[in-house]
Amino acid sequence: MTGTIQQQVFEIIAKQAKVEVATIKPESTLKDLGVASLEAIEMIFDIEEHFDITFPDQQGANFDTDTAQSLVDAVQKALDGKAAAGEGSK
Amino acid sequence: MPTVSTRRVVITGMGAISPLGVGAAALWQGLREGRSAIGPLRHPDAGRLRVKVAAQVPADFDPAAHIDERILPLLDRTSEFALHAAREAVAQSGVDFAANGLGSRTAVVVGTGVGGETTQDEQSRRLYGENAQRAHPLTIVRLMTNASASQISIAWGLRGPAYAVASACASANHAIIQAAQLIRYGLADAAVTGGTEACLTYGALKAWEAMRVLADDTCRPFSVNRRGLVLGEGAAIFVLESLEHARSRGANILAELAGTGMSADASDIVMPSAEGAAAAMRQALDEAELNPADVDYINAHGTGTPANDVTETRAIRLAFGAQADRLAVSSTKSMHGHALGASGALELVAAIGALRDSVVPPTANLDQVDPACDLDYVPNVAREMPVRAVLSNSFAFGGLNAVLALKRAP
Repeated sequence: MTGTIQQQVFEIIAKQAKVEVATIKPESTLKDLGVASLEAIEMIFDIEEHFDITFPDQQGANFDTDTAQSLVDAVQKALDGKAAAGEGSK
Repeated sequence: MPTVSTRRVVITGMGAISPLGVGAAALWQGLREGRSAIGPLRHPDAGRLRVKVAAQVPADFDPAAHIDERILPLLDRTSEFALHAAREAVAQSGVDFAANGLGSRTAVVVGTGVGGETTQDEQSRRLYGENAQRAHPLTIVRLMTNASASQISIAWGLRGPAYAVASACASANHAIIQAAQLIRYGLADAAVTGGTEACLTYGALKAWEAMRVLADDTCRPFSVNRRGLVLGEGAAIFVLESLEHARSRGANILAELAGTGMSADASDIVMPSAEGAAAAMRQALDEAELNPADVDYINAHGTGTPANDVTETRAIRLAFGAQADRLAVSSTKSMHGHALGASGALELVAAIGALRDSVVPPTANLDQVDPACDLDYVPNVAREMPVRAVLSNSFAFGGLNAVLALKRAP
């Protein structure tokens, strides 16, 4: 899986929600996409594994309001945090 | 329809080992004082875990001080807890299983969510982590889910029906219900029953982390600032007898286990249903011949997750109608944590305490009531009030519900 972070996250969401990637908009909520709570937890696991990151505990707790874009933002934030930690250890 | 004659079932002994200490008295005393045993997680792998808090049995609990050294090597932590709690319960009841062949008319039913998790974890670590060539030869007898029931049966020569019951977080209540029904329908005169759990292993904690239901501060049931459940551990074990058996030997009766209710949601593997929970509560009331107006206190399942607290509130309203507004409802998980397969047993100690002392234990850490939770949750401070009858709720992942109805000793 390559492409921008957004493309990669959207592909993971599409796979879990069993929808075409093209149907996902940044403002789509997980609820809009028909992702139930347990599926959302699985999706967050897939995203963490794919990017080798760990979301904070409360991330992903609001399945009704979390949007596709908010997941992209969370990935970016976690990657930034990881990069900063990596530099700090040098 | 043919009528089946049934017998009344009473509780004559209880024992516990819990995060609030060793003994049922320590548990009840802590609960009525509103003292939370939730604290920083003690674990050798804490540095690799995101779980920060847990409700753990005090570190100074020494099984070797309580259990025969010849038995000790056979036991997982779950069975250490269960045997220790059983000894206290049997001693309190004063029952002599050797007299009049009672041992062969006594059942043992113990609930546990996962059984010997500590043993499983240790052996997996050896085999997969350290490339050990062999597992410990006592691995199977320690980890089997029925180990606690079997050890209790052996310790007191109890030869009636004996087995384990597993229904995740409702295991203890389902086990206690099974034991009560065996007595009610004449298959046993007495039973030793309850629940035990000790599964705070690295693997199990990682699995709970992945579900994203654990609080990182404390357990705040029914509070809008709740952040999830807090895992616990422990055991509580009880001696049950038919009323006539208890009376015939002049036993001190703690409470009557007057009714039981069981149902399955048959809907979602994790999201609870108010209808399923309400059905179990109604059954328990019916079997106990209680009207909603007769019940004063409900010990709630009350995990501190948004899914449970709101649904349980709705379920209580469905089962109790207008009477729901005069009930005291509290979640003692705010203090002893969620001991999973043992939780219903720890909570039965609270239910019996409430009946006997006319004191309802509080819901600790309840500082901002969730507007979607509109019952009286007895926030933070215990309440002295007449308690005539109590329900104790347990609802499991998988949609399995088990409710106990208790009355004062007859």
